[in-house]
Amino acid sequence: MDFRSYELDAAVYDEMFLPDGTPREHSRALHDTLRGLSADELATIQSRVTRSFVSEGITFTVYGSAEAEERIIPIDCVPRILPAAEWQLLETGLTQRMRAVNRFLVDVYGDARAVADGVVPEDIVFGCPQFRPEMRGVRAPRDVWAAICGSDIVRTNDGFIVLEDNLRVPSGVSYMIANRKAVKSSLRRLYRRCRVREVEHYGRLLRRTLVELAPEGRHDPAIALLTPGVHNSAFYEHVFLAHEIGAELVEGRDLLTRNGLVYMRTTEGLRRIDVIYRRVDDDFLDPEVFRADSMLGVPGLLEAYRLGGVSLVNAPGTGVADDKSVYPYIPDLIRYYLGEDALLANVPTHICRRPQELEYTLDNLENLVVKQVGASGGYGMLVGPHSTPGQRESYAAAMREDPAGYISQPVLELSRAPCLIEGRAAARRVDLRPFVLTGRETRLVPGAFSRVALREGSLVVNSSQGGGGKDVWVLDE
Amino acid sequence: MILSRNAEDLYWMGRYLERTEHLCRLLSCQVETLVDRPVREINFGWRRIYDSMSRRPPGPAIYFAASDDEEDDDYTLADSFTLADDLTFEPTNPDAVRSGLARARENARQVRHRISGETWTCLNETWLGFRARTIDQIWKAAPEAFYVGVAHELNTLAGVAQTTMYRDEGWRFLQLGRFTERAQLTIALLLAQLSLVRVEPRASVEADWSSLLRICQAVDAYAQCHGVEIVADRVLDLLAGDVLLPRSLCRALDGAAGTLDAAALGPGPIAEARQLAHDLAATTRRRWPRQPTLDDRADRLRHMQRECRALHDLVYAAYIGYEAEGAPVR
Repeated sequence: MDFRSYELDAAVYDEMFLPDGTPREHSRALHDTLRGLSADELATIQSRVTRSFVSEGITFTVYGSAEAEERIIPIDCVPRILPAAEWQLLETGLTQRMRAVNRFLVDVYGDARAVADGVVPEDIVFGCPQFRPEMRGVRAPRDVWAAICGSDIVRTNDGFIVLEDNLRVPSGVSYMIANRKAVKSSLRRLYRRCRVREVEHYGRLLRRTLVELAPEGRHDPAIALLTPGVHNSAFYEHVFLAHEIGAELVEGRDLLTRNGLVYMRTTEGLRRIDVIYRRVDDDFLDPEVFRADSMLGVPGLLEAYRLGGVSLVNAPGTGVADDKSVYPYIPDLIRYYLGEDALLANVPTHICRRPQELEYTLDNLENLVVKQVGASGGYGMLVGPHSTPGQRESYAAAMREDPAGYISQPVLELSRAPCLIEGRAAARRVDLRPFVLTGRETRLVPGAFSRVALREGSLVVNSSQGGGGKDVWVLDE
Repeated sequence: MILSRNAEDLYWMGRYLERTEHLCRLLSCQVETLVDRPVREINFGWRRIYDSMSRRPPGPAIYFAASDDEEDDDYTLADSFTLADDLTFEPTNPDAVRSGLARARENARQVRHRISGETWTCLNETWLGFRARTIDQIWKAAPEAFYVGVAHELNTLAGVAQTTMYRDEGWRFLQLGRFTERAQLTIALLLAQLSLVRVEPRASVEADWSSLLRICQAVDAYAQCHGVEIVADRVLDLLAGDVLLPRSLCRALDGAAGTLDAAALGPGPIAEARQLAHDLAATTRRRWPRQPTLDDRADRLRHMQRECRALHDLVYAAYIGYEAEGAPVR
């Protein structure tokens, strides 16, 4: 691999190289192997990786795309390496974060002590569209509201920073496993030599987590994964996970409720379902409680959950804890509930519902990233330095109209990692999405889906916005 | 026990795969005739395909001229290009190869966790390979090779499924779809043949019935049983009632009956469905007309066609569309 034109910049952390251009200790073997590979050999490896995704139909759907409903996520064949100590920090930090998040959710839908004690403003919590008053007073199994989380983490020269906690229906874990399968078979000798920790047991951990959250007395629970259907962008992942965890892949139309229990229609009649890993947003879960026009949900589902007849994972209403306007308070909430300082930092965030912070944002639009509070997937986002005056004007108008709908953050210098671009090594921005599971205990597989901004100079890593993916190798001690 | 919706997807996946493979066989034999067969025979072949699908060809109706002199060779060949495109790539034609493959894949995509990874990958690759081709491309080379290729890939897929899939309820619905579809396609093809030989006074026993044998991959079996002389009755009886012929009607119906026997007890009218499947299977042997004319056989086939539709409805009522109210809780 040709690293001669590889760009290093002291202001940007590089995942493979030290600022002086020598490979970091943990990346040395990868670097040496890559350097020994010719452009043709690399092209073969890359095409094998891509080919495996094409053949197996590992796809996602881009909303609004007229053609090519199903797309292959571009996977870069060069893995990103995390040494054991860095992973340890991430694992501990994320575990801490999830403990606090679940305490917060129990509190918010219970006594709301954190609000009463002024840790987080009342209007932020109760005015948040993700707060579901219907869930007040409901107890989640084992007090776990957020059992599955896919936090987005970036690295700068200052260390790891949590960009957001995705608690609603985080996706990407199937790509983590598919990447691993494709990349390790293409770099097999290096993989063996590096002593990389496995990620393929994620399905077993997820199943164990779901079993632990089953309704009381259901020791061998029937598990279903509730999908919006084949047109959902993450449908491949839903099928993959259902297979991995031995769950039925159900749609709302397959389910019905009766006397506080949930059943699915099978070829032999009705069969009770105990745990639903739902990949359907709150709004669409139950037309009797949330959106009445939902065709994706199940009438009576929420009532069944309230009565303890079925477990919903994650619990409805969990989204209040990953809302962009609640996010800035997570470090305070960690301190409040756990009496600890947050091990993983947040991005400094300006909440535009506060007039001063709105003004600051409007005055500095060119230098900030503005995000719509309710949006995700890289939609509804303005990256100031890459925006046009027209885009900034229209954002400014929208923000004045609805200040509570926006936050802003400084532009982060996301770390870069080498990617194979046009036959050569080129530095591209990356993030990291590890997956955290919480049942009786919190569990992570040592790995993540690393998204890459494949377009030169781009800071946006979302697959819906032209991003790709990378395998992440967490090294053994 | 599987989800009713999954059973439905697997059933239809089986049906579409069977339908597509069948059409590829029809088309490979048909485009072969374009090389050296008379116009009349070519037109007979196109009519047979369209009639068996109960579909009207695009453009003017395919007619049979009164004599060889009235037939226009260039016109027939140009027309054949249009017809082949209509039956292969035309996206608005729900009966085209493209639609069949796309729908089989779409059904499979919904039940990827219920079929083996090998089966899925094989189907996906067949689809991706097909999607990359156009009628112009295949027409320039040997189009029959293209159809033979797709049929071959679908046969490989059937073999991959056969060797890799767990024999659970899902497998049974996939098989049930295949057998039911095969039976219906065979009946429709035989009925189209019988109807065409009546309306086309110049129909040739030798050419039109031997091409039917080729379509049904029964040339060798016929030669083994009856020698080289082609006799219409014998062709028909072989294709309908030979228990040793892989694609015979009676084997398809035996397959459907056997699969239903092995399937779980559904909440709906499963006993009726099983009985009907067995009755149908028996028809091609015990109740097949003893001193039959071709018309007797056509009547019997029409009756079976109705019964096959009824079987489909019973399967749906038994396993898929049953009323939840009053359904047993397992």
